[in-house]
Amino acid sequence: MEKSVLSSSEHAQPGIALPRGWGTPRQRQARWQRLRIVMTQVLVAIVLLGLWELGTVHSKVNAFLFGSPSEIGRDLLAMIRNGSIWTDTYITGVETLAGFALGNLLGVAVGLTLWYSRFVSRVVQPFIMALGAIPVIALAPIVIIWFGTGFSSKLAMSTLSVVVVSLIIAYKGATGVDPDQINLMRSLGASRHQIFRHLVVPASLTDIFAGLQLTIGFALVGAIIGEFMSSSQGLGHAIFKAGSLYVIAQVFAELVVTCALALLLSALVSKVERMLLPWRHDLQ
Amino acid sequence: MAAAEAQPPDRPLVASGLGKTFGEEDGRPVEVIRSISFSLGRGEIVSIVGPSGCGKTTLLNLLCGLLPLSRGHVLWNGRRLGSVPPRMGYMLQKDLLLPWRTAVQNVALGLQINHVPRRERLEVARALLDRLGLAAFTDYYPSALSGGMRQRVALARTLAPQPEVLLLDEPFSALDFQTKVLMQRDTAKLVREENRSLLLITHDVEEAVGLSDRVMVLSRPPCTVVAEHPINLAGDRTDIVTAREMPEFGRYVHTIWNELDVH
Repeated sequence: MEKSVLSSSEHAQPGIALPRGWGTPRQRQARWQRLRIVMTQVLVAIVLLGLWELGTVHSKVNAFLFGSPSEIGRDLLAMIRNGSIWTDTYITGVETLAGFALGNLLGVAVGLTLWYSRFVSRVVQPFIMALGAIPVIALAPIVIIWFGTGFSSKLAMSTLSVVVVSLIIAYKGATGVDPDQINLMRSLGASRHQIFRHLVVPASLTDIFAGLQLTIGFALVGAIIGEFMSSSQGLGHAIFKAGSLYVIAQVFAELVVTCALALLLSALVSKVERMLLPWRHDLQ
Repeated sequence: MAAAEAQPPDRPLVASGLGKTFGEEDGRPVEVIRSISFSLGRGEIVSIVGPSGCGKTTLLNLLCGLLPLSRGHVLWNGRRLGSVPPRMGYMLQKDLLLPWRTAVQNVALGLQINHVPRRERLEVARALLDRLGLAAFTDYYPSALSGGMRQRVALARTLAPQPEVLLLDEPFSALDFQTKVLMQRDTAKLVREENRSLLLITHDVEEAVGLSDRVMVLSRPPCTVVAEHPINLAGDRTDIVTAREMPEFGRYVHTIWNELDVH
């Protein structure tokens, strides 16, 4: 049979197979734009830190209350030398990742399963909303009593911070599937299980991954709240201890490390998302 | 209805007295389809045209068992079915391709659902894409394909499980004119060569006349059949472009336009 004339007149979108390199003038211009933005950001940071430092040089009170960039830098160096930066980051990082994984596993599993039964989902909806309305920090005292002061209480706090959000996102993703798409699957003879596996689960992945970006932050908050309540190590512990002793520069130094950990975890999630969702050109 | 039950098997689809009223249970009934009867013969292409919003899509969903009937019944190869009939292909204006599957994986979807082994289903899917002129794009994701190409992939997905009856709901209406005519031609070829039956729902009178052996005209809701026209155009009926140039083509289009209650 003859081929369609169309295939020659229609083209796939450009930009998929372009070789890497210095590229077109337009790309060079885009790169210059990015560079200019980064340089301006660095400049703003330097100016702000400089003003901060200047403000504390001549005033002992200000330095006591606000710390100063030079002190913070000194404390960071000290933390690197005595190794506490690595152990605290590691402890908090593991708590966060474990709570993140457990919370999302539970949340996604329940959220997607609720798609199976509209009845069950309607029955449990108010309970889930009620659970989601409780600020996690309000649960901390009970969590300490139930799970003790070790790793498991931090895991519980972190998981609790994640699970309801994750559940709601997964459920919304599953119920948001285009009904025409479901009809199409039915017209192909798909069973409910096949519709779930081949349509609902992959269609929800976009939402679920958006949820991962959100919940990795929540997991870190949960872990640090857990460490605030009672702990002997971790970034939350270090922040709490330094704050209690009025060593403000140390608090800031720990905050810098926490911030770096948060960014690292978030970048990790983005990377995994790009790996697992290759059809999303907007992510590449 | 004893006569209907004894239909000879060369009429894969027969509808008698089909009707649909929405909202019967909550006391505010809206009658969308009053009564529609027709039959679709083997190898026949029948178009249903009607004013916009006349319940064409509801009709299609009733025929293929996606919506429960309020009245009447549908026979697939002489049998009443409670569920979606086997060997039926269904295609809408939206291509409904799954964005996480490549073109070839999308085409193979129906075969996968029917448990055809992976190698075999991908082979069938590749062959179909090749016939539709998409051999170079089999491993592209839908997001990298143009609208016309995506609709072609959707057509291939519909044809892959070898359906004997195709139900198409405005499948070409979102395409530009040139793409539309070429897709109509490809569809006519793939349907007529394999002696399949096609029920095409459209608001495009020219498309209906160009493709079909028969055109049915529906009224505004509550919907009934206003008129039925056998289309006799000489020559190769897969040649949509030549068909459009025949003097009878214009006459049919004119007559049907006047029957459509679009004013």
